[in-house]
Amino acid sequence: MKQGPAIQIDNLTVKFNGRTVVERFSMSLASSDRVTLTGRSGSGKTTILRCILGFTVPDEGSIAIEGEQVTGASIWKLRTRLAYVAQEPDLGTGQVRQVLERPFTYHTNARLGGNRSRIPELFRRFMLPAEMMDKDIVTLSGGERQRVAIVSAILLQRPILLLDEATSALDKSASQAVADFFKSQGDLTVLSVAHDPEGFSFSKDIIELPGGSDGGGQ
Amino acid sequence: MNIVDISFLSLAVGYGLLIFPLSILLWYRIPIVGDTLWAIVRMTVQLLFVGLYLEVVFSLNNFWLNGAWLLIMIGVADTSITRGCGLRLGRFAGPLFLALLLGTAVPLFFFVGPILVRPHLLDAQYAIPIGGMILGNCLRADIIGVSNFYRSVRKSEKAFLQVLAQGARFSEATRPFLRDAVQAALAPTVATMATIGLVSLPGMMTGVILGGADPMTAIKYQIAIMIAIFSGTAITVALAIWLTMKSSFTAYGVLDCRIFKT
Repeated sequence: MKQGPAIQIDNLTVKFNGRTVVERFSMSLASSDRVTLTGRSGSGKTTILRCILGFTVPDEGSIAIEGEQVTGASIWKLRTRLAYVAQEPDLGTGQVRQVLERPFTYHTNARLGGNRSRIPELFRRFMLPAEMMDKDIVTLSGGERQRVAIVSAILLQRPILLLDEATSALDKSASQAVADFFKSQGDLTVLSVAHDPEGFSFSKDIIELPGGSDGGGQ
Repeated sequence: MNIVDISFLSLAVGYGLLIFPLSILLWYRIPIVGDTLWAIVRMTVQLLFVGLYLEVVFSLNNFWLNGAWLLIMIGVADTSITRGCGLRLGRFAGPLFLALLLGTAVPLFFFVGPILVRPHLLDAQYAIPIGGMILGNCLRADIIGVSNFYRSVRKSEKAFLQVLAQGARFSEATRPFLRDAVQAALAPTVATMATIGLVSLPGMMTGVILGGADPMTAIKYQIAIMIAIFSGTAITVALAIWLTMKSSFTAYGVLDCRIFKT
């Protein structure tokens, strides 16, 4: 792979029930770029990430990942180039340990099983206690769950990371720890979405999306 | 030993028993008197109609006619599943029909063939009651299994998408939901098998005893039918989910919520 920009979006238009959420949006993200999309609620930030992951099919326009167009056929391979941390992540059920190990049971990640050894180091970096591994994921606070989701994404060792308000529930020091980590990962391409981009100091560019409103969801 | 017939006059007297439930409903003003009366009328008309039809089917005992009867029963079961699950009929009717057909036919033919060793697999005396019992259970299993599967995926959409984002194949992402749905569909039959005979005499055994057979023959029929029902429900529910999955998710692996009526 790697025959084009990490992410190339051309004239993306998405409508929900006749309402245009994203209108002719274009951007190009080179490998190792860090860009944050910001804007008001309803401006389509999350929708753009969903389109990249193939969870929402755009009405017009196209997306290419490392030079390959996102289609129903290609997305299965392209998702193995991406890691995603959702807003209020839902990582399924079970202990934190099980949640972190589950992705390695998928065929495509089987060869990455050795990355489990990085868990203690990442827990320390993100200020998560080691005992948390045995806790049930549903008992974690929003901020703890976000950090576990970030750890899970990092363990998959993907070249492109998509973060959707991934540090919104973190306090300043935890948020800084996450930012410092991404600063140290020079090769990683990160496209993040944030209502308030202040915590994303590792981003090189900030793109403000037009539209939306202060109160509505997307 | 032949079973004693019930004359229509005696049957009419039998309706007299309804005085007890209807009195209770009226006394406590339980608001289902109208529904109850309507259900009794429907039951009577439906069963009389089926009785008349089966008289013809049994007297002709024709392979094609018996087969057509089973297919009609499967068709009726098919529409009631899609209604029961709140799913759109158009997309599901075909795959569910096939799932019900195989879930019913495989254990039925096994029952009538190797177990009963009848020369004709669709012999009316055996194929119609046994087929009906297997189909009835397949119907219940499919309603539980199919609705459980699609509702769970919809309810856990975020977790499901997260699994897709982690690089899971479609089969890997749907497997936990499939496992839970099949388990939920089979659980009632497993529970019945574990307690059968202790709580009540099961329907088929009662029928065989009333038909004049000795209890041991009845027991053997009951064991065979329970195995047939269990096999049928497992086949039909796994197939029903598997066959409907292709058209219920987009090429990107996302559940197409248009399959739901609500």
